[in-house]
Amino acid sequence: MDPQPLFDDQYAGVPAKRVLHYIESKREKGYPVVGIYCGYAPIELIQAMGLIPAVLCAFSKAPIASAETVLPANLCPLIKSSYGFILEGTCPFFAMSEAVIAETTCDGKKKMFELAAEIKPMHVMDLPQLADEPEALENWTVMIRKLQCFLEKTFDRKISDEALQISISNANKKNRAMRKFFEYAAMHPPLISWQEMYDIGFLALPATAEEMEPILETVMAKLEQRAENGIHFGTAKMPRVLVSGCPVGGDALKIFRIIEEAGGLVVVPDACTGIKGFVGEIEENSDDPVKALAKRYLEVPCACMTPNNRRLTALSDLIEQFKPDAVVDFVLTACHSYNVESYKVGRHVTNTHGLPYLKIESDYSDNDEGQIRTKVEALLEMVSR
Amino acid sequence: MRFAGIDIGSRAIKLVVVDSAGKILLKRIADTGFDPMEEVKKIMNDARPDHTIATGYGRNLFELVFEAQTVTEIKAHARGALVLFPQALAVLDIGGQDSKAISLFESGKVKKFEMNDRCAAGTGKFLEIMAKNLGFAIETFGDQALGAKKDVNISSMCTVFAESEVTSLIAKGQDRREIALGLHSSVARRAVSMINRVAPEGEVVFTGGVARNSCMQSLLAKKLNRVVHVPEEPQFVGAFGAALLSSEMP
Repeated sequence: MDPQPLFDDQYAGVPAKRVLHYIESKREKGYPVVGIYCGYAPIELIQAMGLIPAVLCAFSKAPIASAETVLPANLCPLIKSSYGFILEGTCPFFAMSEAVIAETTCDGKKKMFELAAEIKPMHVMDLPQLADEPEALENWTVMIRKLQCFLEKTFDRKISDEALQISISNANKKNRAMRKFFEYAAMHPPLISWQEMYDIGFLALPATAEEMEPILETVMAKLEQRAENGIHFGTAKMPRVLVSGCPVGGDALKIFRIIEEAGGLVVVPDACTGIKGFVGEIEENSDDPVKALAKRYLEVPCACMTPNNRRLTALSDLIEQFKPDAVVDFVLTACHSYNVESYKVGRHVTNTHGLPYLKIESDYSDNDEGQIRTKVEALLEMVSR
Repeated sequence: MRFAGIDIGSRAIKLVVVDSAGKILLKRIADTGFDPMEEVKKIMNDARPDHTIATGYGRNLFELVFEAQTVTEIKAHARGALVLFPQALAVLDIGGQDSKAISLFESGKVKKFEMNDRCAAGTGKFLEIMAKNLGFAIETFGDQALGAKKDVNISSMCTVFAESEVTSLIAKGQDRREIALGLHSSVARRAVSMINRVAPEGEVVFTGGVARNSCMQSLLAKKLNRVVHVPEEPQFVGAFGAALLSSEMP
């Protein structure tokens, strides 16, 4: 029996179109749209102000040639793609956005944002990179307050602490529900596919808790139905793979596809495009909701932080929960922080958990699929039962 | 029963047929050329295997035409090397267009591996192009390099950049055997760091076509300061491993 699709709409397999439809319909109701690029953008603040966050296009190889007329070719594909979309005017989310929020997560991005600022109002947040230092929390709190001022001024509105408190507790609700959804991937074999995780995660990121609640209720009911009918993905014998590293979307999805074609099951996408955005709790009813937000966002275990031991702890938690047989660390070409950190990730995964690990360094092109396939197949051969 | 292993590499296609005891019955090699499946048909002509495992970059293509299963080159080389040198803990395979370092558990299972790909840097193709530039036959390139009194430092690993570096060295009147030694050293340095990352200790089996090169053999043994085994016909190790795996299929 084929599993019933989790979404009953015309957007099967094209989550970007579903989200576009969602954002367009909100915009028609009068909600202004703000573009975001990264998991450090405080969505709760944006939503509390009655604004709609739109994750901007960054995952297609199509606009890279245009970007390379300005940017150097040996730059991360995510940055080139983002800028190429802006130059070409081909990202509908960017077109709808009245302002863009960006963070200094890496050198390539922050310099690209200077160029993008010539096209659209940009608010760049200075992200502290020694996240464990007490000053980091102070500084990031200030940065979020400055963002608040920017948004208040740009959109001519004020936000109360109460509204932010409500937004925070709603976000916690949404994230808890999302973590429950991901639990179905922890089952042996999983009840959800990587495509479904990608689909739901794509929508859940910009949507509010109220909007996600009925959707997730339906989804969970369908998953319970699957559990009852014994419908699942793959077999218990297929090796389970955790994919960590850089964000994965669009043309980078080849990594998930190749793992699947090689006979593996992607049971947990651990990246900003996967489970990472839904992990952790924001303190509710604190004296300072902005600081509470800042605290949660500094906990995001991105490789731009140093040291980034949180990533290893987070990986251990995911390994405990999802029981993968192997770990793939996906590194986008020229992403130095993830590339260098990969050594520590590999050491942690093999020494602490005894799991084989494979680093895949790639971009959005498809000319290395054969090589990736050989590497992934060799990894799966190591764990085949 | 006859069990075949066919290794369809970027430069050559290797076929090994073994019996149930793993004894080699047949061994063949052909250039991959531009129509690998045509070459495969020729090489398979009267091999009459009961069961075949294909490996190498052309393995999936083979599977479409012949009845076969596939394994990666990594597994195949590990299996072949284990039978030839059971005490080894690492395999370095340098083929036509990629190179790989594999570390093994004592059981012979793959523990870790790394593959250098995407360009021909530090592979057989690189040495082949450089030999041609210097007017040496590929078969004697290693011996010629070993005849140099000192080596010249070559910094480029990219085939295209190294070509221009070599051209300028020739223009300066540098001895071509010294340039040859410099080129071999740069390939060896890269291979050594790869094997040290993946398998920092233990005896090494050197496989693939480049393992036939005497200068590479000697540089690796010297730079690694460990025992480096070179099989009699190193280019057949992948096909041999695949044939053995074929004979072990349930």
